[in-house]
Amino acid sequence: MGRVTDVLFGRKRLKGAARERLFALSTAQVTLDVEMGLKPAGVGAVCFKPLSAGEFVRAENDLQELLDATATQSHSKVERKSDDLGYEWLVVRDSSFEDLVATVHMIGSEMEDRGFGPQLLAAIFKFTGGKNPVYFIYGYKTGTFWPFVPEGEKERDNSEELELKAKLEKELPIEPDLTRWLALYGAPL
Amino acid sequence: MLFTGVLLGLLYVVFALVLFQVLNVGLIPMLLIVVGLAVFQYFTSDKLALLASGAKVVDESQAPELHAMVERLAAMADIPKPRVAVVPTDVPNAFATGRNPKNAVVAVTDGLWRRLDKEEVEAVLGHELTHVVNRDVLVMTLASFFAMLAGLMMRFGFYGGIFGGGRRNDQGGIPIWLIIVAVSIVTYFISYLLIRAISRYREYAADRGSALLTGAPENLMSALQKISSQMTLIPQRDLREVAGMNAFFIVPARAKEVASELLADHPPLEKRLARLAEIAREMGKPVAP
Repeated sequence: MGRVTDVLFGRKRLKGAARERLFALSTAQVTLDVEMGLKPAGVGAVCFKPLSAGEFVRAENDLQELLDATATQSHSKVERKSDDLGYEWLVVRDSSFEDLVATVHMIGSEMEDRGFGPQLLAAIFKFTGGKNPVYFIYGYKTGTFWPFVPEGEKERDNSEELELKAKLEKELPIEPDLTRWLALYGAPL
Repeated sequence: MLFTGVLLGLLYVVFALVLFQVLNVGLIPMLLIVVGLAVFQYFTSDKLALLASGAKVVDESQAPELHAMVERLAAMADIPKPRVAVVPTDVPNAFATGRNPKNAVVAVTDGLWRRLDKEEVEAVLGHELTHVVNRDVLVMTLASFFAMLAGLMMRFGFYGGIFGGGRRNDQGGIPIWLIIVAVSIVTYFISYLLIRAISRYREYAADRGSALLTGAPENLMSALQKISSQMTLIPQRDLREVAGMNAFFIVPARAKEVASELLADHPPLEKRLARLAEIAREMGKPVAP
Protein backbone atom coordinates (compact mmCIF):
# COMPACT_ATOMS: atom_id res chain seq x y z
CA MET A 1 0.00 0.00 0.00
CA GLY A 2 2.80 2.34 0.92
CA ARG A 3 4.30 1.72 -2.48
CA VAL A 4 1.07 2.54 -4.28
CA THR A 5 0.62 5.83 -2.49
CA ASP A 6 4.26 6.67 -3.13
CA VAL A 7 3.69 6.16 -6.84
CA LEU A 8 0.41 8.11 -6.74
CA PHE A 9 1.99 11.06 -5.03
CA GLY A 10 5.19 10.86 -7.02
CA ARG A 11 7.27 10.04 -3.97
CA LYS A 12 8.73 6.83 -5.29
CA ARG A 13 12.22 6.69 -3.83
CA LEU A 14 15.30 5.68 -5.75
CA LYS A 15 16.75 2.32 -4.90
CA GLY A 16 19.33 3.78 -2.57
CA ALA A 17 20.08 0.70 -0.51
CA ALA A 18 20.26 -1.54 -3.55
CA ARG A 19 23.83 -2.52 -2.86
CA GLU A 20 22.75 -4.33 0.33
CA ARG A 21 21.18 -6.92 -1.92
CA LEU A 22 24.64 -8.12 -2.87
CA PHE A 23 24.68 -10.28 0.25
CA ALA A 24 21.84 -12.41 -1.12
CA LEU A 25 24.46 -14.09 -3.28
CA SER A 26 26.18 -15.51 -0.19
CA THR A 27 23.15 -17.68 0.58
CA ALA A 28 22.31 -18.42 -3.04
CA GLN A 29 25.79 -19.86 -3.43
CA VAL A 30 24.70 -22.96 -1.46
CA THR A 31 21.89 -23.64 -3.94
CA LEU A 32 24.27 -23.13 -6.84
CA ASP A 33 26.55 -25.76 -5.39
CA VAL A 34 23.88 -28.31 -4.44
CA GLU A 35 21.63 -28.02 -7.49
CA MET A 36 24.00 -27.10 -10.29
CA GLY A 37 27.38 -28.26 -8.97
CA LEU A 38 28.77 -24.76 -9.37
CA LYS A 39 31.51 -23.63 -7.00
CA PRO A 40 32.74 -20.08 -6.41
CA ALA A 41 35.97 -19.49 -8.30
CA GLY A 42 37.19 -17.28 -5.44
CA VAL A 43 37.15 -14.18 -7.58
CA GLY A 44 34.83 -11.25 -8.07
CA ALA A 45 35.14 -7.71 -9.35
CA VAL A 46 33.68 -4.26 -9.42
CA CYS A 47 33.46 -2.61 -12.82
CA PHE A 48 33.25 1.15 -13.02
CA LYS A 49 33.33 3.90 -15.58
CA PRO A 50 36.62 5.69 -16.07
CA LEU A 51 36.76 9.07 -14.41
CA SER A 52 36.87 12.33 -16.23
CA ALA A 53 40.23 14.08 -16.48
CA GLY A 54 39.20 16.89 -14.12
CA GLU A 55 38.67 14.71 -11.11
CA PHE A 56 41.39 12.30 -12.06
CA VAL A 57 43.99 13.23 -9.45
CA ARG A 58 41.56 13.26 -6.57
CA ALA A 59 40.03 10.06 -7.82
CA GLU A 60 43.41 8.37 -8.09
CA ASN A 61 44.22 9.28 -4.50
CA ASP A 62 40.85 8.14 -3.30
CA LEU A 63 41.12 4.86 -5.12
CA GLN A 64 44.54 4.20 -3.65
CA GLU A 65 43.19 4.99 -0.20
CA LEU A 66 40.33 2.64 -0.85
CA LEU A 67 42.65 -0.16 -1.89
CA ASP A 68 44.78 0.37 1.20
CA ALA A 69 41.71 0.36 3.43
CA THR A 70 40.52 -2.85 1.84
CA ALA A 71 43.89 -4.45 2.42
CA THR A 72 43.84 -3.64 6.14
CA GLN A 73 40.17 -4.50 6.72
CA SER A 74 39.99 -7.81 4.92
CA HIS A 75 42.17 -10.66 3.79
CA SER A 76 41.07 -10.30 0.18
CA LYS A 77 43.61 -9.43 -2.49
CA VAL A 78 42.59 -6.56 -4.72
CA GLU A 79 44.15 -5.57 -8.01
CA ARG A 80 43.27 -2.91 -10.49
CA LYS A 81 42.78 -3.65 -14.18
CA SER A 82 41.42 -1.88 -17.20
CA ASP A 83 39.79 -3.40 -20.27
CA ASP A 84 39.59 -2.79 -23.99
CA LEU A 85 36.37 -0.84 -23.66
CA GLY A 86 38.05 1.65 -21.36
CA TYR A 87 36.44 0.50 -18.13
CA GLU A 88 38.26 0.06 -14.83
CA TRP A 89 38.03 -3.09 -12.76
CA LEU A 90 38.88 -3.82 -9.14
CA VAL A 91 39.40 -7.57 -9.11
CA VAL A 92 39.00 -9.17 -5.69
CA ARG A 93 40.36 -12.60 -4.77
CA ASP A 94 39.35 -14.46 -1.63
CA SER A 95 38.99 -18.17 -1.00
CA SER A 96 36.09 -17.55 1.38
CA PHE A 97 33.02 -16.66 -0.64
CA GLU A 98 31.42 -14.70 2.19
CA ASP A 99 34.51 -12.56 2.59
CA LEU A 100 34.65 -12.07 -1.16
CA VAL A 101 31.08 -10.76 -1.26
CA ALA A 102 31.76 -8.60 1.80
CA THR A 103 34.85 -7.04 0.22
CA VAL A 104 33.10 -6.38 -3.08
CA HIS A 105 30.26 -4.83 -1.11
CA MET A 106 32.71 -2.70 0.86
CA ILE A 107 34.37 -1.41 -2.28
CA GLY A 108 30.97 -0.45 -3.62
CA SER A 109 29.99 1.41 -0.45
CA GLU A 110 33.35 3.15 -0.17
CA MET A 111 33.14 4.34 -3.76
CA GLU A 112 29.63 5.56 -3.17
CA ASP A 113 30.68 7.39 0.01
CA ARG A 114 33.42 9.14 -1.92
CA GLY A 115 30.94 10.31 -4.51
CA PHE A 116 31.69 7.79 -7.22
CA GLY A 117 28.29 6.09 -6.95
CA PRO A 118 27.20 7.06 -10.46
CA GLN A 119 30.42 5.60 -11.92
CA LEU A 120 29.60 2.13 -10.57
CA LEU A 121 28.44 -0.14 -13.35
CA ALA A 122 28.36 -3.71 -12.09
CA ALA A 123 29.79 -6.25 -9.71
CA ILE A 124 30.55 -9.68 -11.06
CA PHE A 125 31.23 -13.05 -9.45
CA LYS A 126 32.66 -16.10 -11.12
CA PHE A 127 31.61 -19.73 -10.60
CA THR A 128 33.10 -22.86 -12.11
CA GLY A 129 32.17 -26.51 -12.34
CA GLY A 130 29.89 -26.44 -15.38
CA LYS A 131 30.67 -26.72 -19.08
CA ASN A 132 31.43 -23.00 -19.22
CA PRO A 133 32.30 -20.58 -16.44
CA VAL A 134 29.19 -19.02 -14.95
CA TYR A 135 29.08 -15.37 -13.93
CA PHE A 136 26.59 -13.55 -11.82
CA ILE A 137 26.41 -9.88 -12.69
CA TYR A 138 25.01 -7.42 -10.20
CA GLY A 139 23.82 -4.18 -11.76
CA TYR A 140 24.27 -1.23 -9.43
CA LYS A 141 21.73 0.74 -11.44
CA THR A 142 18.99 -1.87 -11.19
CA GLY A 143 19.92 -3.48 -7.87
CA THR A 144 19.39 -6.90 -9.39
CA PHE A 145 21.44 -9.91 -10.44
CA TRP A 146 21.46 -11.73 -13.72
CA PRO A 147 23.38 -14.78 -14.90
CA PHE A 148 25.88 -14.59 -17.72
CA VAL A 149 27.31 -17.73 -19.30
CA PRO A 150 29.64 -16.79 -22.14
CA GLU A 151 30.27 -19.44 -24.75
CA GLY A 152 33.29 -18.61 -26.82
CA GLU A 153 33.98 -15.01 -27.67
CA LYS A 154 30.68 -13.31 -28.38
CA GLU A 155 28.08 -15.98 -27.72
CA ARG A 156 26.22 -16.86 -24.57
CA ASP A 157 24.43 -19.99 -23.40
CA ASN A 158 20.89 -18.65 -22.98
CA SER A 159 19.33 -21.94 -21.91
CA GLU A 160 21.84 -22.34 -19.08
CA GLU A 161 21.16 -18.75 -18.04
CA LEU A 162 17.41 -19.34 -17.95
CA GLU A 163 17.92 -22.51 -15.94
CA LEU A 164 19.97 -20.55 -13.41
CA LYS A 165 17.18 -18.01 -13.21
CA ALA A 166 14.60 -20.71 -12.56
CA LYS A 167 16.72 -22.29 -9.84
CA LEU A 168 17.66 -19.09 -8.01
CA GLU A 169 14.72 -16.78 -8.52
CA LYS A 170 13.36 -17.51 -5.03
CA GLU A 171 16.41 -16.49 -3.06
CA LEU A 172 18.19 -14.02 -5.30
CA PRO A 173 16.76 -10.76 -6.70
CA ILE A 174 17.07 -11.77 -10.37
CA GLU A 175 16.41 -9.03 -12.92
CA PRO A 176 12.90 -9.83 -14.24
CA ASP A 177 13.33 -7.90 -17.49
CA LEU A 178 15.40 -10.24 -19.65
CA THR A 179 16.22 -7.46 -22.08
CA ARG A 180 18.43 -5.96 -19.38
CA TRP A 181 20.59 -9.04 -19.01
CA LEU A 182 23.46 -7.34 -20.76
CA ALA A 183 26.69 -9.21 -21.27
CA LEU A 184 30.19 -8.52 -19.95
CA TYR A 185 32.38 -10.31 -22.47
CA GLY A 186 36.02 -10.73 -21.62
CA ALA A 187 35.74 -9.65 -17.98
CA PRO A 188 39.29 -9.71 -16.55
CA LEU A 189 38.69 -12.39 -13.90
CA MET B 1 1.37 -4.50 -35.50
CA LEU B 2 -2.11 -4.47 -34.00
CA PHE B 3 -1.76 -0.92 -32.80
CA THR B 4 -0.20 0.39 -36.00
CA GLY B 5 -2.78 -1.52 -38.01
CA VAL B 6 -5.65 0.06 -36.13
CA LEU B 7 -4.09 3.49 -36.39
CA LEU B 8 -3.47 3.11 -40.10
CA GLY B 9 -7.05 2.02 -40.60
CA LEU B 10 -8.45 4.91 -38.60
CA LEU B 11 -6.27 7.23 -40.62
CA TYR B 12 -7.74 5.74 -43.76
CA VAL B 13 -11.31 6.22 -42.52
CA VAL B 14 -10.65 9.82 -41.58
CA PHE B 15 -8.98 10.39 -44.91
CA ALA B 16 -11.95 8.96 -46.82
CA LEU B 17 -14.38 11.01 -44.75
CA VAL B 18 -12.50 14.21 -45.37
CA LEU B 19 -12.46 13.51 -49.07
CA PHE B 20 -16.15 12.71 -49.06
CA GLN B 21 -17.41 15.46 -46.79
CA VAL B 22 -15.09 18.37 -47.37
CA LEU B 23 -14.12 17.95 -50.97
CA ASN B 24 -17.59 16.71 -51.92
CA VAL B 25 -16.12 13.85 -53.90
CA GLY B 26 -18.76 11.51 -55.29
CA LEU B 27 -19.00 7.74 -55.01
CA ILE B 28 -17.13 6.96 -58.23
CA PRO B 29 -13.97 9.04 -57.58
CA MET B 30 -14.01 7.67 -54.07
CA LEU B 31 -14.06 4.09 -55.34
CA LEU B 32 -11.26 4.94 -57.75
CA ILE B 33 -9.13 6.20 -54.88
CA VAL B 34 -9.79 3.08 -52.78
CA VAL B 35 -9.00 0.79 -55.71
CA GLY B 36 -5.97 2.92 -56.48
CA LEU B 37 -4.65 2.52 -52.94
CA ALA B 38 -5.21 -1.23 -53.02
CA VAL B 39 -3.40 -1.50 -56.35
CA PHE B 40 -0.55 0.64 -55.04
CA GLN B 41 -0.27 -1.56 -51.96
CA TYR B 42 -0.31 -4.68 -54.10
CA PHE B 43 2.38 -3.51 -56.50
CA THR B 44 4.73 -1.99 -53.94
CA SER B 45 4.32 -4.58 -51.18
CA ASP B 46 7.84 -5.96 -51.62
CA LYS B 47 9.54 -2.58 -51.62
CA LEU B 48 7.45 -1.27 -48.75
CA ALA B 49 8.16 -4.30 -46.56
CA LEU B 50 11.88 -4.19 -47.29
CA LEU B 51 12.00 -0.48 -46.58
CA ALA B 52 10.00 -0.73 -43.37
CA SER B 53 12.10 -3.55 -41.93
CA GLY B 54 15.46 -2.22 -43.03
CA ALA B 55 16.17 -5.46 -44.88
CA LYS B 56 19.00 -5.56 -47.38
CA VAL B 57 18.86 -7.81 -50.42
CA VAL B 58 21.96 -9.99 -50.44
CA ASP B 59 23.52 -11.81 -53.38
CA GLU B 60 24.97 -15.29 -53.45
CA SER B 61 28.47 -14.27 -52.48
CA GLN B 62 27.23 -12.48 -49.36
CA ALA B 63 25.10 -15.33 -48.03
CA PRO B 64 25.93 -18.52 -49.94
CA GLU B 65 24.39 -20.94 -47.43
CA LEU B 66 21.14 -19.01 -47.18
CA HIS B 67 20.91 -18.73 -50.97
CA ALA B 68 21.50 -22.47 -51.42
CA MET B 69 18.74 -23.21 -48.93
CA VAL B 70 16.23 -20.88 -50.58
CA GLU B 71 17.11 -22.25 -54.01
CA ARG B 72 16.53 -25.83 -52.90
CA LEU B 73 13.20 -25.04 -51.26
CA ALA B 74 11.99 -22.92 -54.19
CA ALA B 75 12.76 -25.81 -56.55
CA MET B 76 10.76 -28.15 -54.32
CA ALA B 77 7.86 -25.70 -54.15
CA ASP B 78 8.07 -25.24 -57.91
CA ILE B 79 8.40 -21.45 -57.88
CA PRO B 80 11.16 -19.23 -59.28
CA LYS B 81 13.86 -18.55 -56.71
CA PRO B 82 12.87 -15.41 -54.81
CA ARG B 83 15.29 -12.66 -53.90
CA VAL B 84 16.93 -13.11 -50.50
CA ALA B 85 17.28 -10.35 -47.91
CA VAL B 86 18.80 -10.05 -44.46
CA VAL B 87 17.50 -7.79 -41.68
CA PRO B 88 20.25 -6.58 -39.33
CA THR B 89 18.49 -7.20 -36.02
CA ASP B 90 18.97 -9.55 -33.12
CA VAL B 91 15.31 -10.56 -32.83
CA PRO B 92 14.85 -13.84 -34.67
CA ASN B 93 12.24 -13.47 -37.38
CA ALA B 94 11.54 -13.88 -41.07
CA PHE B 95 9.05 -12.66 -43.62
CA ALA B 96 8.12 -13.06 -47.25
CA THR B 97 6.59 -10.46 -49.50
CA GLY B 98 5.96 -9.69 -53.15
CA ARG B 99 2.77 -9.73 -55.17
CA ASN B 100 3.54 -12.96 -57.03
CA PRO B 101 6.21 -15.66 -56.97
CA LYS B 102 8.18 -13.79 -59.66
CA ASN B 103 8.52 -10.68 -57.53
CA ALA B 104 8.90 -12.39 -54.19
CA VAL B 105 11.49 -11.64 -51.53
CA VAL B 106 12.22 -13.72 -48.45
CA ALA B 107 13.99 -12.04 -45.58
CA VAL B 108 15.52 -13.47 -42.43
CA THR B 109 17.01 -11.55 -39.51
CA ASP B 110 20.58 -11.93 -38.30
CA GLY B 111 19.15 -13.22 -35.02
CA LEU B 112 17.25 -16.02 -36.77
CA TRP B 113 20.34 -17.14 -38.66
CA ARG B 114 22.50 -17.09 -35.56
CA ARG B 115 20.15 -18.58 -32.97
CA LEU B 116 18.53 -21.38 -34.97
CA ASP B 117 20.02 -24.59 -36.32
CA LYS B 118 20.25 -24.88 -40.09
CA GLU B 119 17.34 -27.36 -40.28
CA GLU B 120 15.22 -24.93 -38.28
CA VAL B 121 16.09 -22.01 -40.57
CA GLU B 122 15.10 -24.23 -43.47
CA ALA B 123 11.73 -24.94 -41.84
CA VAL B 124 11.12 -21.21 -41.31
CA LEU B 125 12.07 -20.53 -44.95
CA GLY B 126 9.64 -23.28 -45.96
CA HIS B 127 6.92 -21.45 -44.08
CA GLU B 128 7.75 -18.17 -45.80
CA LEU B 129 7.98 -19.75 -49.26
CA THR B 130 4.54 -21.29 -48.71
CA HIS B 131 3.25 -17.75 -48.17
CA VAL B 132 4.68 -16.95 -51.61
CA VAL B 133 3.19 -20.08 -53.19
CA ASN B 134 -0.20 -19.36 -51.60
CA ARG B 135 -0.07 -15.78 -52.86
CA ASP B 136 -0.80 -14.44 -49.43
CA VAL B 137 0.04 -10.86 -50.33
CA LEU B 138 -2.70 -11.01 -52.95
CA VAL B 139 -5.11 -12.66 -50.51
CA MET B 140 -4.46 -10.12 -47.79
CA THR B 141 -4.66 -7.18 -50.18
CA LEU B 142 -7.98 -8.48 -51.45
CA ALA B 143 -9.20 -9.11 -47.92
CA SER B 144 -8.40 -5.61 -46.79
CA PHE B 145 -9.73 -4.20 -50.04
CA PHE B 146 -13.13 -5.76 -49.46
CA ALA B 147 -13.05 -4.60 -45.88
CA MET B 148 -12.38 -1.07 -47.05
CA LEU B 149 -15.07 -1.36 -49.67
CA ALA B 150 -17.59 -2.74 -47.17
CA GLY B 151 -16.99 0.13 -44.83
CA LEU B 152 -17.34 2.59 -47.67
CA MET B 153 -20.57 1.12 -49.03
CA MET B 154 -22.07 1.09 -45.59
CA ARG B 155 -21.29 4.74 -45.16
CA PHE B 156 -22.80 5.64 -48.51
CA GLY B 157 -25.84 3.42 -47.94
CA PHE B 158 -26.38 4.97 -44.57
CA TYR B 159 -26.08 8.47 -45.85
CA GLY B 160 -28.22 7.90 -48.94
CA GLY B 161 -30.92 5.75 -47.28
CA ILE B 162 -31.74 7.56 -44.11
CA PHE B 163 -31.10 11.12 -45.11
CA GLY B 164 -32.35 10.79 -48.65
CA GLY B 165 -29.09 11.94 -50.13
CA GLY B 166 -29.61 15.40 -48.72
CA ARG B 167 -26.55 17.41 -47.87
CA ARG B 168 -28.05 19.42 -45.05
CA ASN B 169 -25.75 19.09 -42.10
CA ASP B 170 -27.78 21.08 -39.57
CA GLN B 171 -31.01 19.16 -39.03
CA GLY B 172 -30.72 19.23 -35.26
CA GLY B 173 -30.10 16.12 -33.15
CA ILE B 174 -26.91 14.20 -33.62
CA PRO B 175 -24.85 15.64 -36.46
CA ILE B 176 -24.68 13.41 -39.52
CA TRP B 177 -20.91 13.41 -39.66
CA LEU B 178 -20.78 12.00 -36.14
CA ILE B 179 -23.02 9.07 -37.08
CA ILE B 180 -20.94 8.46 -40.17
CA VAL B 181 -17.75 8.42 -38.15
CA ALA B 182 -19.25 6.05 -35.58
CA VAL B 183 -20.52 3.61 -38.20
CA SER B 184 -17.25 3.75 -40.12
CA ILE B 185 -15.24 2.97 -37.04
CA VAL B 186 -17.45 0.04 -36.04
CA THR B 187 -17.34 -1.33 -39.57
CA TYR B 188 -13.64 -0.90 -39.63
CA PHE B 189 -13.07 -2.77 -36.37
CA ILE B 190 -15.22 -5.69 -37.45
CA SER B 191 -13.42 -6.01 -40.76
CA TYR B 192 -10.11 -5.72 -38.95
CA LEU B 193 -11.01 -8.72 -36.80
CA LEU B 194 -12.02 -10.64 -39.92
CA ILE B 195 -8.73 -9.83 -41.62
CA ARG B 196 -6.85 -11.05 -38.61
CA ALA B 197 -8.83 -14.29 -38.68
CA ILE B 198 -7.89 -14.76 -42.34
CA SER B 199 -4.28 -13.99 -41.50
CA ARG B 200 -4.23 -16.64 -38.79
CA TYR B 201 -5.70 -19.18 -41.18
CA ARG B 202 -2.97 -18.39 -43.73
CA GLU B 203 -0.37 -18.91 -41.03
CA TYR B 204 -1.65 -22.41 -40.32
CA ALA B 205 -1.60 -23.09 -44.05
CA ALA B 206 2.01 -21.88 -44.27
CA ASP B 207 2.98 -24.10 -41.33
CA ARG B 208 1.48 -27.07 -43.11
CA GLY B 209 3.26 -26.09 -46.33
CA SER B 210 6.59 -25.94 -44.54
CA ALA B 211 6.00 -29.37 -43.02
CA LEU B 212 5.29 -30.81 -46.46
CA LEU B 213 8.20 -29.01 -48.17
CA THR B 214 10.83 -30.04 -45.66
CA GLY B 215 9.18 -33.31 -44.71
CA ALA B 216 10.09 -32.53 -41.12
CA PRO B 217 7.40 -30.72 -39.09
CA GLU B 218 9.50 -31.22 -35.96
CA ASN B 219 12.05 -28.70 -37.28
CA LEU B 220 9.42 -26.00 -37.60
CA MET B 221 8.14 -26.91 -34.15
CA SER B 222 11.52 -26.43 -32.53
CA ALA B 223 12.12 -23.28 -34.59
CA LEU B 224 8.82 -21.78 -33.42
CA GLN B 225 9.63 -22.64 -29.84
CA LYS B 226 13.04 -21.02 -30.10
CA ILE B 227 11.70 -17.90 -31.81
CA SER B 228 9.04 -17.32 -29.19
CA SER B 229 11.08 -18.38 -26.18
CA GLN B 230 12.31 -15.96 -23.55
CA MET B 231 15.82 -16.45 -24.87
CA THR B 232 15.22 -14.05 -27.69
CA LEU B 233 14.86 -11.30 -25.12
CA ILE B 234 18.33 -11.80 -23.66
CA PRO B 235 20.58 -9.30 -25.40
CA GLN B 236 23.90 -10.13 -27.03
CA ARG B 237 25.19 -6.64 -26.38
CA ASP B 238 27.72 -5.76 -23.75
CA LEU B 239 26.71 -3.79 -20.69
CA ARG B 240 29.69 -1.47 -21.12
CA GLU B 241 28.83 -0.56 -24.69
CA VAL B 242 25.24 0.21 -23.78
CA ALA B 243 26.19 2.14 -20.65
CA GLY B 244 28.77 4.04 -22.67
CA MET B 245 26.12 5.12 -25.11
CA ASN B 246 24.03 6.33 -22.22
CA ALA B 247 21.10 4.37 -23.56
CA PHE B 248 20.73 1.79 -20.84
CA PHE B 249 16.96 1.87 -20.80
CA ILE B 250 16.14 2.79 -24.37
CA VAL B 251 17.63 -0.12 -26.25
CA PRO B 252 15.99 -2.96 -24.30
CA ALA B 253 12.55 -1.36 -24.40
CA ARG B 254 12.74 -1.17 -28.15
CA ALA B 255 13.77 -4.79 -28.52
CA LYS B 256 10.72 -5.83 -26.52
CA GLU B 257 8.37 -3.72 -28.57
CA VAL B 258 9.64 -5.18 -31.82
CA ALA B 259 9.23 -8.72 -30.53
CA SER B 260 5.61 -8.30 -29.50
CA GLU B 261 4.84 -6.44 -32.71
CA LEU B 262 6.14 -9.20 -34.92
CA LEU B 263 4.23 -11.91 -33.08
CA ALA B 264 0.88 -10.15 -33.03
CA ASP B 265 -0.82 -11.39 -36.19
CA HIS B 266 -0.09 -15.05 -35.66
CA PRO B 267 -2.05 -17.81 -33.98
CA PRO B 268 -0.97 -18.80 -30.47
CA LEU B 269 2.14 -20.96 -30.35
CA GLU B 270 0.47 -23.90 -28.60
CA LYS B 271 -2.15 -24.23 -31.33
CA ARG B 272 0.44 -24.08 -34.08
CA LEU B 273 2.52 -26.71 -32.33
CA ALA B 274 -0.54 -28.92 -31.81
CA ARG B 275 -1.42 -28.75 -35.51
CA LEU B 276 2.15 -29.44 -36.54
CA ALA B 277 2.23 -32.44 -34.22
CA GLU B 278 -0.91 -33.68 -35.95
CA ILE B 279 0.73 -33.29 -39.35
CA ALA B 280 3.75 -35.13 -38.03
CA ARG B 281 1.55 -38.01 -36.94
CA GLU B 282 -0.12 -38.06 -40.37
CA MET B 283 3.34 -38.29 -41.90
CA GLY B 284 4.11 -41.18 -39.57
CA LYS B 285 6.64 -39.30 -37.50
CA PRO B 286 6.47 -39.75 -33.76
CA VAL B 287 6.56 -36.38 -32.01
CA ALA B 288 6.24 -35.70 -28.32
CA PRO B 289 2.80 -34.19 -27.61
